[in-house]
Parts: sequence; structure tokens; C-alpha cells
Amino acid sequence: MTTTPVPDNILADFANMSAALTGFQSSVLRPFLDPVNLSGLYYGFAVSQVSQQAMDALLNAYRAIATQPAQTIADTLLETASPTPSNQAQIAQSIVAMWYLGSWYKPAYQNAGTPGAVVQVVSSEAYTNGLVWKAAQAHPMGYSPFTFGYWSQPPASLATFGVNVPDGGGQ
Amino acid sequence: MRKLATITLLALAFACRKELPKTAATETPAPAQEAKLTAAPSGPAIVLSSAIPGDAQFGALPPNATNEEKLLAIQGDFDIFSWNSFIALNWPPGPDGNGDPTKTIGQDGDNDTVWEHYRDVADVFLPGGKPPVWKGSTPVPPECTADYAPGMRILSQVGKTPTVLTEFSQPFNTGPLIDQNGVYTRYEILVNKPMFDYILSNSLYSKAGQKVFSGTVKFPCGVLGGAEGAIMVKSAWKIIDSSEMSRFHSEEVLVYSPASDNPPYPAKCGKQTMGLVGLHIGHKTNSGAQWLWSTFEHVDNVPTEDDVKGGTLKASYNYYNPKCSAADCPPNQVPPRPWDPTKVSSFHSQIVRINTFKGNEFAPTSAAERNADAVKLLAGVNPDSVWQNYELISTMWPTNTGTCQAIAGDPLGTPAPTFLANTTAETYIQGMVPNVSSNCIECHNNATMTTPVASDFTYVLQRAQ
Amino acid sequence: MSNGNGSTTAQYDVVIIGAGVSGNLIAKQLGLAGKKVLILEAGPTVPDSREQYMENFYLALAKTPESPYPSLAGRTGPGVGSLPDPAALPAPRATVLAIGRPPQQSHLIQSQTAGAPVNAKGEVRQLQFSSTYERIGGGTAWHWLGTSLRLVPHDLTMQSTYGVFQDWPISYDEMETLWGLAESEIGVAASVAQQEPLQAAIGLRYPPGYQYPMNPIPSSVVDQTISSAVSGMSVPGEGSEGGKEYSVFVTSTPAGRNSEPYQNRRVCAGNTNCIPICPIQAKWDPTVTLGSALDTGNVTVSYQSVAVNIAVEGGNATRVDYLQWSRDANGDLTSKPMSVTGTIYVLAAHAIENAKLLLLSNNQQGIANSSDQVGRNLMDHVLYLAWALADQPVWGYRGPLATSGIESLRDGEFRSNRAAFRMEIGNEGWNFSTGDPYTTTMDFITGTNNSQLNPQGQRLGGVKLAEQLNSFLTRQFRFGLLLEQSPQAENRVTLDPTYTDGLNIPRPHIEYGLDEYTMEGFRVAADTCSAVFKQMGATEFTQPTVHPYPPGRNPGPGDFSYQGKEYHMYGAGHIMGTHRMGTDSACSVVDASQRSHDVPNLWIVGSGSFPTVATANPTLTIMALAFKSAQSILAALGS
Repeated sequence: MTTTPVPDNILADFANMSAALTGFQSSVLRPFLDPVNLSGLYYGFAVSQVSQQAMDALLNAYRAIATQPAQTIADTLLETASPTPSNQAQIAQSIVAMWYLGSWYKPAYQNAGTPGAVVQVVSSEAYTNGLVWKAAQAHPMGYSPFTFGYWSQPPASLATFGVNVPDGGGQ
Repeated sequence: MRKLATITLLALAFACRKELPKTAATETPAPAQEAKLTAAPSGPAIVLSSAIPGDAQFGALPPNATNEEKLLAIQGDFDIFSWNSFIALNWPPGPDGNGDPTKTIGQDGDNDTVWEHYRDVADVFLPGGKPPVWKGSTPVPPECTADYAPGMRILSQVGKTPTVLTEFSQPFNTGPLIDQNGVYTRYEILVNKPMFDYILSNSLYSKAGQKVFSGTVKFPCGVLGGAEGAIMVKSAWKIIDSSEMSRFHSEEVLVYSPASDNPPYPAKCGKQTMGLVGLHIGHKTNSGAQWLWSTFEHVDNVPTEDDVKGGTLKASYNYYNPKCSAADCPPNQVPPRPWDPTKVSSFHSQIVRINTFKGNEFAPTSAAERNADAVKLLAGVNPDSVWQNYELISTMWPTNTGTCQAIAGDPLGTPAPTFLANTTAETYIQGMVPNVSSNCIECHNNATMTTPVASDFTYVLQRAQ
Repeated sequence: MSNGNGSTTAQYDVVIIGAGVSGNLIAKQLGLAGKKVLILEAGPTVPDSREQYMENFYLALAKTPESPYPSLAGRTGPGVGSLPDPAALPAPRATVLAIGRPPQQSHLIQSQTAGAPVNAKGEVRQLQFSSTYERIGGGTAWHWLGTSLRLVPHDLTMQSTYGVFQDWPISYDEMETLWGLAESEIGVAASVAQQEPLQAAIGLRYPPGYQYPMNPIPSSVVDQTISSAVSGMSVPGEGSEGGKEYSVFVTSTPAGRNSEPYQNRRVCAGNTNCIPICPIQAKWDPTVTLGSALDTGNVTVSYQSVAVNIAVEGGNATRVDYLQWSRDANGDLTSKPMSVTGTIYVLAAHAIENAKLLLLSNNQQGIANSSDQVGRNLMDHVLYLAWALADQPVWGYRGPLATSGIESLRDGEFRSNRAAFRMEIGNEGWNFSTGDPYTTTMDFITGTNNSQLNPQGQRLGGVKLAEQLNSFLTRQFRFGLLLEQSPQAENRVTLDPTYTDGLNIPRPHIEYGLDEYTMEGFRVAADTCSAVFKQMGATEFTQPTVHPYPPGRNPGPGDFSYQGKEYHMYGAGHIMGTHRMGTDSACSVVDASQRSHDVPNLWIVGSGSFPTVATANPTLTIMALAFKSAQSILAALGS
């Protein structure tokens, strides 16, 4: 991980790109006040796994299309329509997985073409802030911010959990 | 959602700075006090005032501030709030219980305080669920009558528990804090009038009343320049001798240990001079829907990890023996059971402050700065003021919250700093493990009444009988 | 009584081996009565807080039951991380990650043959015993789920009622009193009124006016959905029971989990993590009782103390020999031989280690085993896992891991022929079933199909990914069916002749399999799940053999065929039977108080004493029996 602080504007780009890639609101990934600083943690960890150069290239690719709709950005950078995503798209996949699950999985090109090889849980905070649990309208197993009996009722909407749905979609 | 909070907080941050609340102190300042006002016109500051702040006051954010800079600035505003709260709560009270405008904190070295006239929870949650009164006598246990003089306080808690000893809301095996003389640290929990009134008017002082309560528990929020809001204070005390009194806020109290079945020991009571070693203030405010948590410690409590590593140790501490090696006195160990507060213990707690601010360096940076300001101010009243011997560890505040209301989707409000512990009260859960290490808001979020209904971040309601 | 060393004064009134459910409860009861007790615990001390355990859990690659506790798998991939070699560990234990692995990773030495066929007797042999345990202060029940079901009357009378197996040597009336004590000690949340429909269905009964310590835990949306869907449903009896219908309905599960502040512990916040660890101790665990035991001032615990021999001279136990282990400054393991004497000895090290120590004692000639039943009749609740997608959101991954079950099929005349089962409703989606949400998430990010939910090999991003995951995750749910296993003499624990642990102690060798009684129950269980899924309009996804979680584990041990179908069995974590109780010392090891028939001052306690296992999770009954043992020990000490 980085030892010198990454400039705020770079982390902002990283967070905004990640928001588009993950489908969550950027204010969830990088709130106005961010004491947890997941984007700093994740940026540094990803760089340590794929190189600064590769991260820079990905961010530049993002910046070139940053004004496009979020879903377009996601589909473009992840090359979701392609049966053979590029290395850069695979890095984007690993970044999505890191935000969702709190763990880093090797891009397939680093694992003889086989995706899904886990490296490690990035940190305890990474686990407890995983986005997949919000996508499930739940909470990380082992970390409930809710109170007794909440499970008896349906949860709040997917939008409330931070997914960037246009009109309160989801369940 | 979050957007709303951002606007709210920004509005507070960039709004024209409000006037200092008009208090009796500023209208007719005592001569010594007038010279000590350091409120700069451009931002909030620590002041010698008996006015309890209803909420934090926010200065302007630096332009184009980075995340760190924003956090440092706002943390600073909350730390100023904490110090202003500490000063006002420790102000000498007048006959009505409010801070006496004709006096100044520490002018005579030590003084009686406003918060010590708040209502002890033992007098709020009475046997049989009887309705409490704000001002009234405390029942004196038979073992204490010999030493009792009217007005004396009775300290009985040896943990944050309603009964004697053992875990309370702490996750696991937390234990008592035992000083260098083998004596147990004692605790008190008190609530201010607005908190008391809410409990009384909603009949939450009894199990029966809690059972029929059908609403949502929501204590009143403090407002800047307005309503005080609910305040709860937790104090930690250790027995001191007369030679130490100059360094502590101290009181002569009755230390009472109710009889216990397991571990088995009879009741015991005795008069002691106790020194304040820790002060927790929980304050529900508009900007603190999850409450604002200000925690103070006596400066001689414990060394930090760095102090121990670097050998920069004081000659003595309240809860650490600098002459005992790590091998002989491994730090931060829970005393072995059984825990019997009526006896002098051969085990002395060897406590070190763990750095729980890694990645949140804005918190200790801000606290250090504010502590320096406050000490200067307090020592300026009287170089013998006991109050200069207390330091703010930090203030925990929710970064993402609405006005007096949590934001749906973020019940905890994403607190800053992410972990905070007072070595006298969260001694054994100093760390950085989510959901377990000390985090005021996270832990208090689990608080309920005697029924499993959420109790708005306070455990006091669990004491109802 | 003489301890064989010449002196006649024992060092302690009672020496207990094992600081788990039984050991801690017995220590507490004895300590309260003023008796001096030493507990020898093989593993490390109870930590001052659960911070380290929770951090272990957060950073674990595979969040198995053992994942918070010491001797961990490595924290970096590939797969589930490296596993330590039990040959180097002072107190190794069976772990989930070691199932199906060779001795270099598995403490239990057992066959790894894959997919064993049914033999001439209609039995499957060489099946992988798949339940695990801990050896730490507090024991295995650190990670019990909290389920606190009472047995039903016929569970105790399988021989007299159904002509199979054994009766328990203890009456249901007496068990009712003992369960009440256990429910108070643990703090069980339930209501007798809610359990009432099970009276007609399976004979469950309570003493008149009985009240549980706390109100029930509220049911989950998953529970409510299943409950309404199966309203009025029944399943037909089979064979000789053709024409009989068994009602299917959902009942709230009594649980050792706070529904109000209790014992100064917090109320459940639905962390959905009971297994492997409750972060806030809203769920009772044995360290709570251990705290009370230590409070008496009469109980001492010696950690890192591995018992290696119980000396028996003149028919009585005279001494426990143990190894006090530690690690030196380099982290190397060292140990010191020690001994301790008591008037009475209690072996409370759980079913496999109890058997191992009994067989190991007296220079491996064994003690307390004139019945030749020590180590035999190893049983589990064989676990059948079935999972499905509901046709509407049920919002799993919320609340305690389980809050309700279908209990109405736990008894009936069919038990003459095949195993009964209870159906636990899981609140954790497909977490147990497929390692979700990880598996499905990685499927839709990388285009794989390990969850079976991505047959097109789609890759998604952005809101489409979030919504697709939401659609699946919120509809996932599972049943875990606990089948009663037959006691079989050939299912057993013996001392392995080859493999030892870090203290040179032989490791347990396991032989295990299923008979037709159990497999027939398994078959009916599978069909019943499918029927319920169908009733619900849910789509079943149960996979018989291929299981992607933990990743990298090959299908194999645990898989079997029966009547032309493939099945996969899991262990429920309930290890039972290895020192069963009975009235006849020729075929049982202990009596109803768990006192050894052969060695009158030796009690052998825990689920190893169960002669039959029925379908209720064992912890409540373990503690109930421990209360009885404590009473009999106090009587033997003459108090």
C-alpha cells in the first residue's frame, strides 16, 4: 500500500470511477467527510497489485468518458459485451470485486487466464464496508448496524442502501 | 439521504458565525474572567464560560480542503465543543444548580461542579419502579449510615454495570480497573434535567412503564444557543490521599459495595477521598443524532504505547507502574476473577493507551491542539487549578447524519474518529476491530430498554426495575 | 482415598478435563458448593476481549466455524489459505477446512475415498466424518448456533417405542427439570405457547406453567414466507404408514440468544454470525458460565494443559498426567510433564477427545472400557442441505442465522424404519450452500457460473450488476435438515497407529459410514425439501455433489449414492455417542449421571454420552445432563 498520501483529486477520480463501475452512489464510496477512507485504501492496494502504470491507464480511460452515463462507463471499462476482456478490463473487474466483497481477487491475466483467485481480505474495514451486503439490502455477516427485531420486517429500499438506481428500483 | 446531510453540514460550516451565546458571564464578567476570554471573532474557540453549549459551532472550512483538512477542521470544532462542555459542566454551581456566574472554574484550585448535581441513575431507576424526583435524598444503605453526612454522594459502581461487577454492554470479559494500591476504580452515571424529564414524562423509569411505551425513544436534541438537550455523564474515580488532592478534582464520598452472592462477599461502606480520573460526556444534539461523545482523562492515568517503547515515562501513573517490566506486568490484562471490590487486590492494573487513531490522525492532532489551548486557559485562572490536569482524548461525532435524526441507510452515521476509548472506561477493548473495539456510537447503538426496544444510544434505561 | 503417590490428600476435590459446556457448568455448580476445582484446558486461555477472534474472522478467506479461533489457516490465497500441519500443533482439532484432506492438514485420520458405494449390508462405509470441534478456553460451543430445542418423549425411548437402538436411562420428566435449569443458565428465548402445536405433532411437552427466561426471538421474513406457503401442507407417510399424513408447519426455535438484556449481555442485533462467533455476546457461550465459575473463588483453570493419561489404580482414578505446553521466544513448542490429583475426575473434552484419552490411558490399554463401547457408536446429525430461489424476495442475510424450523416431522411410526429429521430454516441465504454472496458476485463480475445462477456466463457492471445481485441474493434461502444417525459399533474413534500431534500424542482415527436407516431418512429428507420448495413456488438449486465452497475442495468424501441418487452429507457439528450412557454396563460406558460404570470416581460427560441422538441440537441437553452430573458428584463428595 502507498505510504505517501495520494492526492485528493486522484482519489476522487478513483472513487467516481468505482461508483460507476459498482453502480453505487459516489457519496457512498467517498462521502463528503470520509474518516474510513476506503478509496485511499483500495487505490493503494490495487496499485500494489497491478502497478501504478496500469492504474494510471485505467483512470485515464475513465477520465476520457467520465461525462457519459454511469452504466455506459461501467460497460465500457469492464468490456461487458466482450467474450475476451482486456487486461485493463480485468483490473476493473478486480476493483469491482474489491468494493463489493472487501477482498482482492487476481485479474485473470495474473493467474494464467483463470479469474477469481483470491489474494486476501484487504482489511477488517474492507470486509465490514463491502457493498454486496448493501446490494442484498442486508449487512455484512458479523457486522449489523441494526437493532433487535429488524429482521422481522422487509428492509429499506435498494436506493436507501446506496445503489444508484434511477427511481428507487430493486425490490 | 447523504446529499441532504452534506448540505446541512456545509450550511453549518459556511454559515455566518453566530454570536457567542449570551450568558451571565459575558454580561457581567468577573474581573479575572474578562481578561481570559479568547474567543476570536472569526471562529469557534474554547472559552471560560458557564454556558453549556447546546451543540457544536462550526467555523469555515478551508477553501478546496482535502478530506484530511475537512476532517481536521470539523474535528476541531467538535473538540472545542467538548472543552466548552467540560468547562461549563465543571463550573461551580449556584443554588439553582446552573453554573454560578459570579465564579470561575478553578479559581480556588478545585470546586464543586454542575454535573455532580445531575441525577445519579441509581436515583432515577428506583426499586419497585417508583417515580423519581429531580431533587431528593438518596437512600443510604445501612452499612453507610455510620459515616454518612447529609449531601454526601455514594459511589457504588465498579463497572459500567447496573449491578456490581462484570460485563455490561462490553462484548466480553471486561473487568474492573484496579489502581496501583490494589483498590477498585469506581464509577457514576448521571443524567441532566432534560434527560431526566424525558425519562419521567414517558414513564421510562420503570419496567412496567417501558413495557407499555409504544413510541420511539428519542431524547431531546441540544441546539446551538438554545435548548440544552439530553446529557449523560459517566465519571471514573480512584481513591487518593491528601497529598494528591492538588492534582485532582476530588470529593469526599461514601464508597459502597453492595453484598454479592457470586463472588460472595458482604456489603461494605466507607468514607473516602476520591479523585476524578475519567469523564465521559454523552450529549444529544442537532448535529449529533447519534449523540456526541466527549471523553476526558486525568493526564497522569497511563502512558501511551510510544511512551513505553521510547522509555519516556513519568515517575508515576494512576494505572501504570513504570518500574515493572512488560514480562512481569504484561499490559492491559483483565484482573483475574473473582473480582471483590471490598478487598485490596494483589493485582494492579497495568494499563497502556493503545493508539486507535491510525488512519485518523486528525483526531489526536486536533485534541493535542485543543488541550494546549484549554490548559493555558484553565491554568490562567489559577496556576493551582486542578482542571488543567485533564485532557480530551477525542470527541466522536457522526459525519453523515441529519438534524436530530439519523439518515436512513446509515444508522450509525459513519462516526469519526472510527474508534475511541477512554482507558478508565473501555480499558480492555482499546483497538481497531470493527464491532468489538471501543466505538462509542457502535456499541451504544445496541442499547435497549429492559424490553428489546432501542433506547436511543443510552444504556441507562436498562436499569429500570 | 489414596492417589497412589503415598499421600492421601488429593490436591483438588475435582479435576475437570476440558473448559467447555459441560466442564464449565460442572465447575460452577461445584464451586458454588464450596468445592475446590481445577479445570485442565488443552488450548489457550479465554482472551480478555473477542477483538482478536473477530479480526481473525474478518480476515479469514473461508469463514468456517473455526475461522475466528487460533491455529488459523493462512490469510492469503490461493484458495482458503495454507493449513497448519496438526503434527506440529499441541492441541490440534478437527476443522471444516481439513475435511477431505490428508493427515498433513487434518487432525482426524480418516479415509478420503470419494463417493463410496453401498456395500452388501446396504451400508456406506469410508464416509468422511464431517463435524468439527475446538480446543480452547470455552470450547466448541463458542460457535454453537444457539438452537436450544428440547428432545421429545419418544427420543428417549427408541427401543421401547420403535424397537430400534437404545432407550436413554433417564426419564422425560427428569429431563424436563434439567432442561429448565439449562435454559436458565444459558438464557433461552422462547414461549411455551408458540411450541404448543408440536405437542400434538411430536409429543413435545413442558411442566405445567413453565415459562422460558425470555420472550421468543422474532421470526424472519424468510420464516414468515415459508410459514404461509406451507399452511395446510402435509407429507404422506410411507410404506406401512401409507394413508397417514404428517402436518408441515413452521415453529419459532427456542434459542440461547438474548431477546432482552440478560446476564449483563446485550440484546441480539441480528449480526447473522452466530456461527462462527457473536460479536456482541448476545448469544450465550460457555465463557459466560466459566466467569461465574471463577467468581466462586473455588475454581482454577490451567490452560495449555493437555491431559495424556488418567491413572487408574485399584479400580479408581488416582491422577491425571498432563503436558503443560508453551512456546519459547522463537515460537518453538516446549512442554513439561505434570500431574494433579483429585478425589473425583471429570472428563469433559468433547466426544472425540474424551474417547481418545480413555483409549490412550494406562499405556494405551484403555480405561473405563469393559463394555468395549468407548469410541464406538460415533454419531453426528447427518446434515442434508437444500437450497432454492424463492419466487419473491425473502431477504436473507439478516437476523440470527436461524430463527425457526419445521419441527413437526421429528417423530412418527416411521422411526421404526428410517431416521427422523428436523428442518432448520436458514436466514443466511446461500452462504452455507454455495459460499454466497461471494460466489454469485464473482460469477457476475468474471463470467463464471459456480453458483448456477449465471448459465449464460454474463459479465455485468454498474447498476445492472447491483440489481442482478439484488434479485438473486434477496431470494436465496436454504434448509438444513438434521437427521438422526443410527448408533453403529463400527463407526468409531480409535488411536491412529501412525499419526501424532505436536506433543507426540496419537491422533484420532475415524471410521465412519451410514446405514440404511439413516440413508432412507436422508432420501425422504431430500424429497420433503423438494416438496416444500414446490409448494412455495421456489426453484430448487440443491447440488448433490459439486460444492464450490470452500473453493478448491474436490467433491468426494461426504458424497454417497443411495437407490440410484447422488447425495452429499455435511456434519452438523454435533459429535455424539462415543461413551454412551445406559443401565447395562456390558454395553454402555456411563450411567444416567454420566458416571463411569467401571471407574466410580470418574465422570465422562458431554454429547459422547448420548446413546441415541434424535434430531434436536445437542447443547441444551449436554448442559442439562451436566447439571445432573454435578448433583451426583456433589452427592459422591458427601455434601
